Amino acid sequence: MANHAIPQHPGLVGAVPARGFPWRGGDDRPGEAASGRDGPAAAGARAVRRAPGGHPGWLIAPATLWLFVFLLVPLASILVFSFFTSTGFGMAPEPTIKNYVDYFEVEGFFDPEARKFLTPSVFLSTLGTTFRFALTVMVLCLLVGYPIAYFLALQVQAFKWQLALFLLCMVPFWTSYLIRAVAWLPMLGRRGLLNRALVELGIVEKPVSFLLYSEFGYTMALVQLYVVLCIGPIFFSLAKIDRQVLEAARDMGANAFQIFREIILPLSLPGVAIGMIFIFVMLMGEFASAVVVYGGKISTVGTVILNYYTFANYPFAAVNALMLMIAMMIGVVIILRVVDIRKQL
Amino acid sequence: MSVKNMHRRGRTRREFLGETAKVAAAGALAGGFPHIARGSEGIRTIGLAVSIINEIQGKASEDLGFAVRGQALGYGAMVGKMLNQNDQYEVAEGYFNDMDVMIPSKVWQPIDTQRIPEWEKVSDLTKTGRLTPESNPGQGDAPFRHLWLDEDGNRVEGPSRYISMLPGWHNADSLGYNPEETGRPIESWAELFSDDFAGQVALLNAPQIGVMDAALAVEGLGIFQFKDKGNMTREEIDFLIDFLIEKKQAGHFRAFWETFGQSVNLMVNGEVVLESMWSPAVTAIKAEGVPCVYAFPKEGMRGWHGGCAISAKATGKTLDQAYEYINWWLEGWGGAFVARQGYYMSVPENVRKHLEPEEWDFWYEGKPAAKELPDPYGTIIVEEGEVRDGGSYWDRFRNIAVWNSLMDENNYLVERWTEFLNA
Repeated sequence: MANHAIPQHPGLVGAVPARGFPWRGGDDRPGEAASGRDGPAAAGARAVRRAPGGHPGWLIAPATLWLFVFLLVPLASILVFSFFTSTGFGMAPEPTIKNYVDYFEVEGFFDPEARKFLTPSVFLSTLGTTFRFALTVMVLCLLVGYPIAYFLALQVQAFKWQLALFLLCMVPFWTSYLIRAVAWLPMLGRRGLLNRALVELGIVEKPVSFLLYSEFGYTMALVQLYVVLCIGPIFFSLAKIDRQVLEAARDMGANAFQIFREIILPLSLPGVAIGMIFIFVMLMGEFASAVVVYGGKISTVGTVILNYYTFANYPFAAVNALMLMIAMMIGVVIILRVVDIRKQL
Repeated sequence: MSVKNMHRRGRTRREFLGETAKVAAAGALAGGFPHIARGSEGIRTIGLAVSIINEIQGKASEDLGFAVRGQALGYGAMVGKMLNQNDQYEVAEGYFNDMDVMIPSKVWQPIDTQRIPEWEKVSDLTKTGRLTPESNPGQGDAPFRHLWLDEDGNRVEGPSRYISMLPGWHNADSLGYNPEETGRPIESWAELFSDDFAGQVALLNAPQIGVMDAALAVEGLGIFQFKDKGNMTREEIDFLIDFLIEKKQAGHFRAFWETFGQSVNLMVNGEVVLESMWSPAVTAIKAEGVPCVYAFPKEGMRGWHGGCAISAKATGKTLDQAYEYINWWLEGWGGAFVARQGYYMSVPENVRKHLEPEEWDFWYEGKPAAKELPDPYGTIIVEEGEVRDGGSYWDRFRNIAVWNSLMDENNYLVERWTEFLNA
C-alpha cells in the first residue's frame, strides 16, 4: 500500500522545527534572549563563515532548494487550496471560509434541543480520537521502551553486547511496516495462535473476539510498531551518562531510587522527548494499521483526508491536512516545553 | 485503495514473467516490430486493475499496430488523475458512477457513436437501462442516466449521437457467506443485520457503497423505505447512519474491509460468516478450502459499470488511435479475458466468439461447467459441474436494485460515515 507514505509527510513538517527551534528561547524570555541566547549562536555563525574553502552557503543550497520545492511550495498550495471553493468535481479559485466553518462547526450551539447539542464536528472529534490514541500509545511505549533502553545502556556492560542486543531490538524493523501490522492477524484472530492457546489451556471455552479488531488489539499493535522509535533515542541519552557521576552519587550515599530520580532520569529526558516526538508525529498520521488491525472500525484523520480527496473535494481535504499539521506542531511544542532539549544537550 | 481496485486477485508471478518477457522481446525485436520501437508514440490509458492488465493492453498493441500503455491506479488516484491531468492520458477506463463529477468538468470529449462501428451491438443495458424488456433499470447512477450527451458534452435525454463513455465491463455485487456457519441459505440483504450473526458480519468501508448495502438491508427488514437509494436525502442518510451506529455500538460488526484481499481473509480466518463481497472473492475463498456462497438476494443486487472515455485533450492521430483502441474493446477479446474473472461485457455476442462454448455456458448462461475452466492466466479455477452463483447474466441484470452512485449529498454522507466509524 503505497499510500502509507502519505501520513509521514506532515510528520516531517512537524519534526523539522523540533531539531532547532531557534526562535523558541526568544519567545520564552524576551529579555534574556538578546544577550543570553543570540550570543553564542552569532559567534557560531561567524566561526562558520571563517571556515576554509570560502562561503559555505552552497553546502546547504541543495537541501534548501529541495525543501523549498518539495516542502514549502506544496505546503503553501495546501494552505491556498483550503480557501478555494469545492465545485463537486474539483475546485475553483473563489476564496471562501466555508471549509473552515464546516470543519469547526459545532452543531446546535444556539439550540439546546438539537440532536447533537454542543457536540464538536465529526472532524474535530476524529482529530481528538487520533490524539487520544497517540497519547495512550506514547505512554505505553514509554513504559515498555524505557526499561529496555535502561537495561541496554546501564545493565549490559560490554559494548559489543549492547550493540548486539540493540540490533536485535531493531530486527522487526527490517521488514515492511505493513507486514508487521498484518502479522498480528494470525496471532490475535479468532483462530489465531493466542486463542488456540487459551482454549487448549482451558482458560476460555471458545475463542474470544476482543483480541483483534478491537481497541485492545489496535493499541497493542501500535505499541509494537512504534516502541523502537523511543528505545533508540532513550538508549543513546542513557549511554552518554558518565558512569563516574553515578559512582560518585553512590559514594555519597544515594540509594538506587535517588540516583535514578536525581541523575539518570533528568539526563535521559532529551532522549525521551525525541522518542516521544517521533512516535507522536507518526501516530497522528497513522491510518493503515487502523484498517488492518482495527478492521477499519475507527476513522483517523488520514482516512478522512483520503475520503474527501477521492471524490475531488480537495479544499476540504486540505483543511483536514492543515489541521492535522497544526495539531502535530502543537503536540511537538508541548513536548519541547516539558523538556528543554537545547538546554539538556 | 478503496472501491474496486482489488477486484482482481493480486499480481501473479505469471504476469510478472510475462511483463519481463515482453520487455526482453521488445529489446530484441525492436527492429522487426515498429510499433514497439516507437516507444513514445501510441496512446496512454488509465483505470483500475479491473481493466488495465498487461495482457489486455499488450494484446491491443499487437492487434492495432501501435503501443497502448496502461496504468492501473487505486480508485482515489484514478479519479484524481482523470480529473486533473487529462493531458496525461488519451483513454480513461472509468466508471459510470463518477459521471456527476466527470461530465460537468468536461475533461473528456463526447464520443461520436458514428465512429463506433459496433455501436448497434452494444446491449440495451446501458442504452435504455433494460437488458431485457421486462428488466428493472434500478435506482442510482445506472449507466443509461449518464450515457447520452450533446455535441458539446452536456447531458441530454437519450438516445443521441454522442455518448460520455463507451460501455464496457460490468457486474453486480451482493453478499457472500459461509453456508456451514450461517446454517441457512442467505436470500435477503436483511440478513446482514440478523442477530444470529452479531459480531460476525463485515461491511465494505467505502461510504458510497457501504451505505447502499446497508440501505438494501434496512429495506429488506421493512423498517424504512428510501425514495432513491442512489441519491439519498440528508434525512435518509441520518436515519441510516443512526441505525448503523446503534448496530455498531451493540458490537454487530466484526470489521470494515477496504481491499479485496481483506474481504477474503476475513472469511477464510473465520472472523465473519456474512459480509458484503465482490464476486471474484468467492473463488478465492473456496480456493482456501473454506465454503463460500454468493447470495442472490430477492431485493436485487448492486450493479456497477465501467467503460472507455476519451480525454478532451486528444486530437488528430492520437484521437484516431484512441477510437481504434476503444473499438478494440468491443471486438470481444478483452471481454473474454475479463469474463474469465467473472465480469460481463457490453457486447456479449462478440465476447462469445472468443470463449469456448463451455466457458460461455458457465460464465454467461449460468449453466454447470461441462469441464474444468481456467482463469485468464490458465489456472484452473472452476471444477467440472460447478455452477456460477447468481444464475445467468440476463437473470442477474434483470433485477438490479441499485447502481453504485455518487450522491448529491456525498460530502454529508462522508461526514456521517466518519462519525459512524468513530462511534
